[in-house]
Amino acid sequence: MQRALPDRVGGRPEADASPCKEREPPMIIQADGLRKTFTTRSRKGTQTVEAVRGVGLEVKKGEIFGVLGPNGAGKTTTIRMLSTLIAPDAGKALIAGHDLLKEPAAVRRNLGYVSQAGGVEDTTSARAQIVMAAKIHNVTDPKRATAEVLERFDLTEMADRPGRTLSGGQKRRVAIAIGLVHSPPLLFLDEPTTGLDPQNRANLWERIRQLREAGTSVLLSTHYLDEADALCDRLMIVDHGEVVAEGTPGDLKREVSGDVITLRADDLERAADTLKPLARETRVDEDVLRVYVDDGEHTLPALLRALEEQGIGLSSIALDRSTLDDVFLAKTGRTLRDAGADS
Amino acid sequence: MIRHTVLFTGYELKKSFSNPVWPLFGIMQPVLYLLMFAPLLKTMTPGGTTVDALRVFTPASMMMIAVFGSLFSGFGLIAELRNGSLERYAVSPAWRPAIVLGRVAKDMVVLVCQAILVLVVAIAMGVRIGAVELVLVLLLMAATGLFASGLSQGLALTVRDENGMSQTLNLFMLPIMLLAGLFVPISFAPDWMKTLAPINPLYHAVEAGRALFAGRLSDSSIPVAFGLFVVLAVLTTIWSMRSLRRIAG
Repeated sequence: MQRALPDRVGGRPEADASPCKEREPPMIIQADGLRKTFTTRSRKGTQTVEAVRGVGLEVKKGEIFGVLGPNGAGKTTTIRMLSTLIAPDAGKALIAGHDLLKEPAAVRRNLGYVSQAGGVEDTTSARAQIVMAAKIHNVTDPKRATAEVLERFDLTEMADRPGRTLSGGQKRRVAIAIGLVHSPPLLFLDEPTTGLDPQNRANLWERIRQLREAGTSVLLSTHYLDEADALCDRLMIVDHGEVVAEGTPGDLKREVSGDVITLRADDLERAADTLKPLARETRVDEDVLRVYVDDGEHTLPALLRALEEQGIGLSSIALDRSTLDDVFLAKTGRTLRDAGADS
Repeated sequence: MIRHTVLFTGYELKKSFSNPVWPLFGIMQPVLYLLMFAPLLKTMTPGGTTVDALRVFTPASMMMIAVFGSLFSGFGLIAELRNGSLERYAVSPAWRPAIVLGRVAKDMVVLVCQAILVLVVAIAMGVRIGAVELVLVLLLMAATGLFASGLSQGLALTVRDENGMSQTLNLFMLPIMLLAGLFVPISFAPDWMKTLAPINPLYHAVEAGRALFAGRLSDSSIPVAFGLFVVLAVLTTIWSMRSLRRIAG
């Protein structure tokens, strides 16, 4: 896990300049222009919702690719289209070398799918459910494959208990074990840690990272910034059904700026004007001013001096590395938290 | 295709029998009906013996299990719709109709167990039935059950809500039961009910069942009931398989 995070602890982006550009791993997902509009009919009349409006993405073999966005951004719809569950209105995709629209059966054979609900049945044991999934996928030795995946996810002890008696974290692990029993080259995880406590989240993150080591490509959706930041090799940020940014977490944050200084002062507008020459960007957000700078430690003294010269009184100041939320804010004008609240 | 159907049937059966108490209760129900309802019916039956009453009531109770046992099996699908397992099967390489057909087939297996038990009890209580009639009764019951199970799965996938589903079933249950002459033969009913009864498909199944138990193999109700329920069973099964397409909204 230590070696998984080189470019987001301040290191150089070594992947971009590497000489093996021509030997880039082939793509496991290549999707282009995916669209989906839902029509709902009710007593109040017909309503159409454009859930996904032209999403394209490329996932390399063996990488963990994240789809980050607030609730209602179109993440689940995108995953459902890519997993053959619903047909896109427009667009095309190649998944594990198979055409999504023309060869859905071949696509299904190559993927594991873990929905937001999980798909763990209440009355049946974890073992029975995993064996069933293995049999559907024509695994040569379903019992052995099941035992292995149970062991791998520390589920052997509760393997024979009915699904409803498992805790939230255990259920999640069973859900992923079901999706992995046939060793698919590609795994879809739709909001894998929603509703889990911090300990279980950390545990699950660790297991998802191990998938990368095993060579499984993962497409995961999440509305947690820290999750996308900690897990994904690359990610795209979606909002209102459109891709607003794409890249490695490190690149995305660097694109916005290295650091963000958040301050509260008595006249934010004037403070923003004063600090503009020092910053890449300034942004007034309700009662705080965010100043995006490349090098926070060295800008801070100059910034404080400038404010003092203008006689602007400060009530608080904080220096942070920029987060994916800052990226989201820069691209959409809203914070992810606000976007989640209004949808 | 067949492999997946067999796979799902086995899985559903295992699920049903993972706690053997519930299927045992399900199987007990028709027996209790025979034991407790037939004596009540005795006073209303021409002839007035328990065997006469049973000859009228056994076929009715078999059709009743076929319809009302299977009509509720769709509730399982609603639960699986909610916990996401249905979605998971839909993304798997499984032949999609097998997901529904497995459940229907499971209902049929349970039904046959119940039917055999009812027949054993009825025969023990003195009812006699010929071999041909016996096979025909079982087949008719299977067709009726297939219709009800298909209807239930299709309804579950369309309504997608336990509350709505139980209200819908309750609304139809009483009129269908009474208009079929299940408990009280329709010959006791007022004229308007007698006129309405033939609209109810179950009426024909019950009439045919009674004809078979009475040994009237040439009774016209038998081909009518078979024709009707084979067509209905095919229709509801196709409907339930098609309803599966809607699970992804």
